Amino acid sequence: MIAFITGIGRFGLFLGAFARASWRRPPPPGMVMAEAYRIGVKSLPVLLIISAFVGTNLALQGYNAFAPLGGSRLVGMFVSTAGIREMAPVIAAAMIAAKAGTEMASHIAVMRIREQIDALEAMAVNPMWYLILPRLAGIVLVLPALTIVAIFATLCSAYLVTIWQLGLNGAVFLEFAREGIQGVDFLYCMTKGLVFGIIIALVACFFGFEAGRGPEGVGKATNGAVVTVSVVVVFLNYFMSELFYG
Amino acid sequence: MDRASAPAPVIELEGVYKSFGETQVLHDISLGIPAGETTAIIGASGTGKSVLLKHIIGLLRPDRGAVRVFGQDVAAASERQLYALRRRMGMLFQDGALFDSLTVGQNVGFPLEHHRKALGPTERQRLVDEKLEWVGLPGFSGRGIASLSGGQRKRVGLARAIVMEPEIILFDEPNSGLDPLTSEAIDQLIIDMKRRLGITFVVISHDIVGTVKVADHIGMLYEGRLVEFGPTRQVLASTDPIVKNFLRRNLDTAWLAGLTAPGARAGS
Repeated sequence: MIAFITGIGRFGLFLGAFARASWRRPPPPGMVMAEAYRIGVKSLPVLLIISAFVGTNLALQGYNAFAPLGGSRLVGMFVSTAGIREMAPVIAAAMIAAKAGTEMASHIAVMRIREQIDALEAMAVNPMWYLILPRLAGIVLVLPALTIVAIFATLCSAYLVTIWQLGLNGAVFLEFAREGIQGVDFLYCMTKGLVFGIIIALVACFFGFEAGRGPEGVGKATNGAVVTVSVVVVFLNYFMSELFYG
Repeated sequence: MDRASAPAPVIELEGVYKSFGETQVLHDISLGIPAGETTAIIGASGTGKSVLLKHIIGLLRPDRGAVRVFGQDVAAASERQLYALRRRMGMLFQDGALFDSLTVGQNVGFPLEHHRKALGPTERQRLVDEKLEWVGLPGFSGRGIASLSGGQRKRVGLARAIVMEPEIILFDEPNSGLDPLTSEAIDQLIIDMKRRLGITFVVISHDIVGTVKVADHIGMLYEGRLVEFGPTRQVLASTDPIVKNFLRRNLDTAWLAGLTAPGARAGS
C-alpha cells in the first residue's frame, strides 16, 4: 500500500516535471509524425485481426443470447452497441498498450540504463520534452483513428458471420446496427481513445524513466507499464461509460 | 607546478556530502579544479568518482555543500541557468551513451541541432566531419552506431562532447572496457585534444597508467573522501599510506620512481 501511494506521488512529480518541460514548447521537429507512423502502422495488422475476431464472437454470442427468445434480428444492435461503445476503444487501447506502450517503456528504460538520458541532460536537452512529448502527441494523433478502424473491423466481421455462418439477413443486421448507435457514440469512443492514448504514453514513459539498473530493470519497467496501463484503461473505461451513458 | 602557481579554479567543490539511502557516497569533498588543465580523479570502483562528476554537470545535487562551475552554484541554479552552464561543458560517458537510432553524424551533430539552430545543414555537417576527423574517424558520419567497436564509440562520444567547443570536458572512465592498445590510443587522443583545444579536462578513472599520462593534477577518492589532491608528481610521491598502497598496486614501482624523480615529467 505504501509502495502504491509513493508510486502515485512519484507519478505526480513526473507529470509536473513533464508539464514544466513541455509547456508552450513545440515537440522536436519531425518526431511526432515518425512516432504516429510507428505506432499507427505497426499496430494496425494486429489491431485488425483482434478486432475482427471480437466482431465474430460478438455476433455469435449475440445470436446465442437472442435467438432462443426470437430476437435474432437484435444481433446487429448488440454488436454495434457493445462493439462501438465498449469493445473497440478498449481493444484498440489494449493493442497499443501491448505494442507501443511496452516499446516506449523498454526503449526509455534502456536509454536510462545506458546513460543516454543523462547524456541528453548533459547536452542541455530536456529528456522529458525530447522523449515524452513526441510519443504523447503521436499516440494522441493515432489512437482515435485506430479506434475507428477497430470499430469497422468489428462490424465488418460480425456482418460476415451474421450472413454467412448464421444465415441471417444482412440488410436487417445493418438496419438494427444503425439503430443501436448514434452519432454521439463515435464522439464518445474517440474521446475514450484520446484519454486512453494519453494514459498509455504517460504511464509507459513514467515506467521507462523510473527503470532500475540492468536488464532486470528494463524487464520490470516494461512489465509494470503494460500491467498498470491495462488496469487503468479498464478502470477508466467503466467510469467513462458511466459518465457518457449512465 | 605547486598549488600557489596553479590557475584559478573553474570548478569548485566546497564541503560536498552525498548519500544514497543509508550509503554515504561523498563525504566533505572540497577541491578546486584549475582552468585550462587536466585534472584526474582516481580511486577504486565504488568510491564515488562518477557521482562526483555528475555533481559537476548538475545531474546530481549535493545533500550539503556547494558545487560552483564558472562561479555559479550548480545546485542553486534554475533549469535555464543549469542548461546554460551545460552548454559550456561537454561530457564523455563511460560507454559513449550514443543514441542507437541515429547515425554517427547525427549523434555528433545532436548538440548543434538543438543549440546552434542558425547553422545550416552544410555548416553543421562540416563541423561534424571536422570533429570526426579530429578523433580519427573521418568518413564515419553515415555509419550506424551498432557497427562501431568500443573504442570507436568512445571516439564518437568524444567528438560529440567537443562539437560545441565547450570550455570544460568531463570524461567518465574513458578507458573502461577497452583493450590496452585501444586504451592507449584514447589516452593519446585526450592528450591531443588537450593540446588542440587548451581547455579544462576532468577525467574520472581507475586506470592509473593512463591517468598519469594525461593529468596535470590528480585527486584520489577513498571511501567517499578526498585523501589527496595536487599536481601529478606531488601525488605520485605522496606519503599517505592509502595513496601509496593504491599506486603501488597499479603502477610498476620502477616506473613510478622514474616519474617522481627530480626533472622527470609526468605524462612523458
